[in-house]
Amino acid sequence: MMDRDLRLRRIRRRLLIQVAFGLLCNVLLFLVLSRFQEPPFIPDWMRIAGPLAVLNIMPLLIVERWNWTMGRRAVSDMRAFGQLNFDEVSRELAARKAVEADIKDCKPYIEVMHEQIGDSLAESEREVVVVIEQIDTLMGKTGKQREHIARSVKSAGELTENTQIRVENNKGVIAAIEMQLEAQTGEFRSNFERIQGLAADVCSLTPLIKVITTIAQQTSLLALNAEIEAAHAGSAGRGFAVVALEVRKLAVLSTQAAADIAAKINATCKRVDEEMSSAQASLEQHEASSAMSHLATDLGEMQLEFCKNSQLLLEVITEVDANYAESVTRLAEALGHIQFQDVMRQRMEHVQGALVEMRDHLLQLAERPDRPGWDGLFDTTFKTLLESHLNSYKMASQTVTHLAVAGGSSESDHSRPAIELF
Amino acid sequence: MAKTILVVDDSLTMVMSLKTTLSLGGFQVETANNGQQAIDKLKGGFKPDLVLTDINMPVMGGLEMIGKVRALPGCRFFPILTLTTESEAAKRDEGRRLGATGWLVKPVSGNDLIKVIKQILPGA
Repeated sequence: MMDRDLRLRRIRRRLLIQVAFGLLCNVLLFLVLSRFQEPPFIPDWMRIAGPLAVLNIMPLLIVERWNWTMGRRAVSDMRAFGQLNFDEVSRELAARKAVEADIKDCKPYIEVMHEQIGDSLAESEREVVVVIEQIDTLMGKTGKQREHIARSVKSAGELTENTQIRVENNKGVIAAIEMQLEAQTGEFRSNFERIQGLAADVCSLTPLIKVITTIAQQTSLLALNAEIEAAHAGSAGRGFAVVALEVRKLAVLSTQAAADIAAKINATCKRVDEEMSSAQASLEQHEASSAMSHLATDLGEMQLEFCKNSQLLLEVITEVDANYAESVTRLAEALGHIQFQDVMRQRMEHVQGALVEMRDHLLQLAERPDRPGWDGLFDTTFKTLLESHLNSYKMASQTVTHLAVAGGSSESDHSRPAIELF
Repeated sequence: MAKTILVVDDSLTMVMSLKTTLSLGGFQVETANNGQQAIDKLKGGFKPDLVLTDINMPVMGGLEMIGKVRALPGCRFFPILTLTTESEAAKRDEGRRLGATGWLVKPVSGNDLIKVIKQILPGA
């Protein structure tokens, strides 16, 4: 209906223009003729009337032709409208009212969707806050642990270093002790062997005493026999008897000396045996002291083992520290990803704004046709609204999505790097 | 001594995550929810080693704040980084003209952020 009224108004306007143009041409003709010729100017008028009439009529004919076409179309529309019966007109009006009412109902619909987005954003923000708080708590606790770990790394390093230094020092000491013990043992063994040889030499004299005693006893017996034989010889054998007596005394003295020597040799052997026992005990004790050497060796091995374990402990603690540093790095990355929530929030807020815009425009669509004197034009359309969004995006991702769906081109330049130092 | 960073952002999640991230990097962090709060802190004598600010904020946005901060006595030379979703070249150029030191587009990983700040603040 509005379209038809508009067309009729346009036809009326053009007819008025046509009449005004014809009048203007006639006035101009009159003025031209009256300037160049005194009345009556029939001959001249007759001369130029033909071309002027053609000049006047040609545009009129064109306009008329166009008016004729438009008028026929308008009449056709009016006839079509006029052919509608009451039920059909009523149905058209009812449909329009229904569409209008439904469009008006978009208001709560869009507002609910708007609020849904808002609530989702608020909820996601709350949850992200909880996540950040938990990460923060975790970082606080692990921060203390890291201090412990750092101290442990330091003390483990010092322990390992000290142990290595001590082990190196003790290695020399232990080697010296072992050498000294070995030398002492050799010396003891050598002394023992010498005493043993000496004792054997002394004890080997005992059979000689028996020989001496036997010789002395036989000498005494010979002297006694000689004394008896000297007595048988009488005075001639008196001198021989004196010699035999002296020989027998000498034999007795020899026997006594032999007995004394035997007693002394026996005493010496006994003392040598005692000394040997003592030396044996001393040697055994000294050899037992080689257990000290084993102990020293064991101690050295234990130190090496301890040193190795200290190194292992240091490595373990260092690895724990490295793992902790890795955790910190990953948490920092995770915190960076949390910024996506803010990015998403801003995109969703843009969508919320667009929803409000859509609501207002739909309400305008529903209400504007009823407004008296409305010319059928809208201040904004969905097309212009969409185009206005294209140049108002903050993020490259928004522009990319828009262009992928609706096409077109953007004046915005989002091509520069994410991190830019001036 | 730890360097101090003033974080200016209206988003609670951003403020919290940046505070934790920068603390991990060994920085002390002070926060403001918009440009006006940041200006008030600076006028009150607070002297950060660096300002890290969002652009789109209520009350006073980041670009306006940068211009006003640079006009404050003693605030002409310390670095101001923007951390924003705005990636449009014209905005960046405006930020640069007003006195921003750098432009970071969200999201930036925590490690990259710390690396950039340590690059700007030697010895941090």
